[in-house]
Amino acid sequence: MKVTLISIPVRDQEKALKFYTEKLGFIIKKDAPLGGGNRWITLVSPEWQDGPELLLEPAPNHFEPCKVFQDALMEAGIPYTQFDVDSVDEEYDRLLKLDVDFSVQPTEMGTVKFAVFNDTCGNNIQIVETL
Amino acid sequence: MPHLLEMTFYQEKINHIKASCYSNDQQIQTIIETRQFIDTNFEKDLNLNVLSDVNSTSKYHLHRLFKRYYGLTPRQYLIDKRIEQSKKNLKKGMSVTETCFAVGFESLGSFSKLFKTKTGKSPSQFQKEQVSRSELDTNF
Repeated sequence: MKVTLISIPVRDQEKALKFYTEKLGFIIKKDAPLGGGNRWITLVSPEWQDGPELLLEPAPNHFEPCKVFQDALMEAGIPYTQFDVDSVDEEYDRLLKLDVDFSVQPTEMGTVKFAVFNDTCGNNIQIVETL
Repeated sequence: MPHLLEMTFYQEKINHIKASCYSNDQQIQTIIETRQFIDTNFEKDLNLNVLSDVNSTSKYHLHRLFKRYYGLTPRQYLIDKRIEQSKKNLKKGMSVTETCFAVGFESLGSFSKLFKTKTGKSPSQFQKEQVSRSELDTNF
């Protein structure tokens, strides 16, 4: 078995696609219709295009418990997932200029530095730098 | 204290973990410096004796602390670092043998075996795929 995919629940796939590509900088790997206006959209890192794919999954719109879980995580400030970056400070400055809203500013903890932002699609996302 | 009232559940948990697991700044700094030393010297003949000399720490203590703060041993970290660099060298077109020694492995056999374990491909397979991929990008 291989780990090739992680999924993120999103309320609006088109909006998520714009945020994750235009602001975060991911690129589209797959985009196929699934019926009912839903799509199978996966993204990859530009510098690791054969790495794991990120699935923008419209589950909260179709399965109430997923929506409840997502809302609870958001309210508690808990990140749904995290991405590695070379420099949290640089990403923080870059994303702030793009009006991304951070709930945790760059913070050092042990051998990592991290920050948490709102992806505007229902999730907190953490970026992490290994020190 | 309005700031405390605004703290999320996650921030509270983070603060708790920070206080209970990451309060020894001096220890953490030593381990971060060890990792940085590996990052800049991975191609050299590194072992626990060398790393412990750099920070004047007992090698068993250093081994234990590195594992505690990074979740893997210095040896495992060094191997991952060398494999990561070898992928970059192979992508640039460096030969498998040259790559092996450039990243600090002493035997082609152990390099190839480790590379396959870590990436699922032999170094030459990996390099061929990179070349055919870049040809596809330009020709297809």
